[in-house]
Amino acid sequence: MTVFFRQAKALVRLSFLELWRRNDVFGLLILALALMVPLSMATPFGATGASRYLDEVALLLLWGFSMFVSLGVGSRLFRPEFERRTIYPLLSKPISRGCLVLGKFLGAVCASWSALALFYAVFVGSVLLRGGSLSVELAQGVALHFAFVALAVSVSMLGSLAMTPSANLTVSSIALVGMFFFGRRLPEYAGTLSAPLAWLVRLVYAMGPHAEFFDMRQRLVHGWGAVEGRVLAAVLAYGIAYSAVCLMLSAAVLKRKRV
Amino acid sequence: MNVAPSRAGGGSRVSLGAVSCAFACAALVAALAAAGAMLGDAMPQVSSGGDVLSVAFGDAKRAISLSMVQKADSYFHGGIDMECHEAHGHHGEDEGGEGHGGEERREVSGDARGGFRDPWRWINSRIRAPEVHRHLQGAEAIHTIPWLWASVRADPHNVDAWTTAWFLARNSVKDADLAWRIIEEGKAKNPGSLEILFYEARHVYDSGMGDAARAEGLFRHIVETALARCGGDESALSEDDAWMLKYSRSYLEDIAKKRAAK
Repeated sequence: MTVFFRQAKALVRLSFLELWRRNDVFGLLILALALMVPLSMATPFGATGASRYLDEVALLLLWGFSMFVSLGVGSRLFRPEFERRTIYPLLSKPISRGCLVLGKFLGAVCASWSALALFYAVFVGSVLLRGGSLSVELAQGVALHFAFVALAVSVSMLGSLAMTPSANLTVSSIALVGMFFFGRRLPEYAGTLSAPLAWLVRLVYAMGPHAEFFDMRQRLVHGWGAVEGRVLAAVLAYGIAYSAVCLMLSAAVLKRKRV
Repeated sequence: MNVAPSRAGGGSRVSLGAVSCAFACAALVAALAAAGAMLGDAMPQVSSGGDVLSVAFGDAKRAISLSMVQKADSYFHGGIDMECHEAHGHHGEDEGGEGHGGEERREVSGDARGGFRDPWRWINSRIRAPEVHRHLQGAEAIHTIPWLWASVRADPHNVDAWTTAWFLARNSVKDADLAWRIIEEGKAKNPGSLEILFYEARHVYDSGMGDAARAEGLFRHIVETALARCGGDESALSEDDAWMLKYSRSYLEDIAKKRAAK
């Protein structure tokens, strides 16, 4: 167990270094500030006091950036290692392939979480500066967002074992963004289609990564209040279960891979 | 940009290519600007205004403008997208029109049995649906204004956006100065719109500005303009103009009655 923790710690450290050395996060942060600062200074028709639109735009950017970071980190986990042949010295160490998958996943998740924590720190700072306050639903929203990032990394990591980084990024983005915006409407959409297509859409609805479960933006912006504890637990359980299945599939793919 | 011929030749080709590309882009922009100036309102699918963006992205700007109005509507209903909500058959309780105000307790869709049938729908209905249907009133309604502002920035000829912004500023936010600024700006951007003129007249008449004579002049101007537009044949008026004519006459009668009562 101690050995696993030492190995996982090393992999987490590597992921951290890789993410923060790339400066993507700082670029995204500057982009967010460049968009939000002029927007916050706007006075539509000379009216003051409107702030919900700022929260909505800021949260949308936060979701977009976190998806960009987590998919990027996840897609760089394995394929580049194979291409650069750095996977061989890694596999020559006394570490099982399952441990390697879990360690790399933990590293990628921790690195993505650190970026998300920075984004949320800026967001919460801006809310407090505008006279807002912290709430239970904000804590719930943050918790679900962190769970979503773990799910996105696991989906992207599974893709990184089967596709090139660009193909993986495209497929994972389409799956997650598509489910994020249209996931809840798929049953109605399936009802309008002919039988084979309807079954396909229902299959996507049943098996696809339901990113929309983790989205509490409307609750936060419009003050709908906190979600019930059992609903929060159900969504977190879904995120953990989906990530676990992706991890197991990743481990199975890596074990069968001839290197 | 280096356009001087170089000894290697490759750099010169690249520079000339870049210059050609820049000229082509400039020519395209000039052609778009000229087309905008020449066509004016001759192309109804393209919003007039003359600028290059209007010509190139007319329809897109209109679509963005309409979606911003929808967003403002969603804000007014406390974050519920009413079009989507009604499309899914949740309109039974909402059919009070403008009369239904304040808050209504709403049963969240998807009961326990539904949760077993479709757990994903059960989660979605609880994460994404508010339990209370409400309308923004008072100072809270100010949150709708930025979306309507964005809407008229995208398409200044979206008269519905101007009048909705005026309505919310006057009736919900209860800020008469803000409402007046909106209607004046809308009038400047849409000088031919009878609808905006009508709302200006209503503002003058209803908002306690005590200027019935001015309001009467405006309503009379609307009636005269509408009749001039159709050449006296009221059936030839557009639906919007016909409504404005009808309501202006109604207001004129009201003013006349009040004057007679005095």
